[in-house]
Amino acid sequence: MLHNVGEVMENWGWVHYVSTTAWLYSGISAIHYFTLFITVGTAVLIDLRVLGLAATRKPVSQFAQQVYPWLWGAFWLAILSGFLEFITDAGDYLPDKVFETKMTTILLAVIFTLLVWRSIPKAETDKGGSLSEGSKILAALSLIFWIGSILAGVEIAAISGLG
Amino acid sequence: MQEQTQNWLMPLCQYLQATSWATAIRTSLWAYPFVQLTHFTGVSLWLGTNIAGDLRLLGVGKKPQTAAHVRDELFVWNWIGFCIVVLGGFLLFSATATSYIRNPAFRTKLFMLVPLALVWHVFVQTKTPVWGQASETPSAGRLAGLIELLLWFCVVMAAVEIPNYNG
Repeated sequence: MLHNVGEVMENWGWVHYVSTTAWLYSGISAIHYFTLFITVGTAVLIDLRVLGLAATRKPVSQFAQQVYPWLWGAFWLAILSGFLEFITDAGDYLPDKVFETKMTTILLAVIFTLLVWRSIPKAETDKGGSLSEGSKILAALSLIFWIGSILAGVEIAAISGLG
Repeated sequence: MQEQTQNWLMPLCQYLQATSWATAIRTSLWAYPFVQLTHFTGVSLWLGTNIAGDLRLLGVGKKPQTAAHVRDELFVWNWIGFCIVVLGGFLLFSATATSYIRNPAFRTKLFMLVPLALVWHVFVQTKTPVWGQASETPSAGRLAGLIELLLWFCVVMAAVEIPNYNG
């Protein structure tokens, strides 16, 4: 069923154009990897800051205010380019269990990143002290899920040969 | 020229590929993805910190910190990321060194784009305390940040092409 739905999507005119135009597909792939690395890298930096392991000279709110716009900008570009890559091979991706695991892990990583974001004090009230244990646990979970999403991504190629 | 480099490096690649760790990575179902995970985690940290610095030089997004502050805050994790990239990359390369060295996309990435981007990164990182003192970066700093961003994008683009040239 999922495979059939995917195959229908793969045969849409513009999707067929993307999958058969080598330079376009390569460009989309490069954008996907590049923005994904920036997303994971900046998310990990914020997690390390909340855990007190990076960029500790300034209040966390200032660091977060600086880095979050880059994180979300890269994230949406990664989602868009990832969707374009996915749709060219949707028939194989949709029923694939490792792909499902990757998507679930990314969703969990995003949820924990949002929870970390909510736990960071606003610039006006941030006195520059250490964050609560709760925030640190959320940051540790976010870190684990982002690294887990990379693992799930590489496992897709290792197990199912996709990507 | 490329063939000469390939011939010169081939004995070293054969030696690397025959080592016990390279054989273990190549023949195990799980080791290769875990080494890839190490490499990609390092790349995320390395690129995340590099591009953060470049975007701040370019003035993209909010500006609560100067580019010099961003550089100082990220410096240590930037180079930790680099060490992880090199470790993961070396292990990945060792596993199938003789096919990597024949791959034109890999050679372009490793022998041309990476050294160029790395030298440019060190230059930008050295100059950022000067360019990034005030909230607004001078044109030279913005241009340098843009060039670095494009260079690392080209590195990723070459890396994405590697599987297409595997013989």
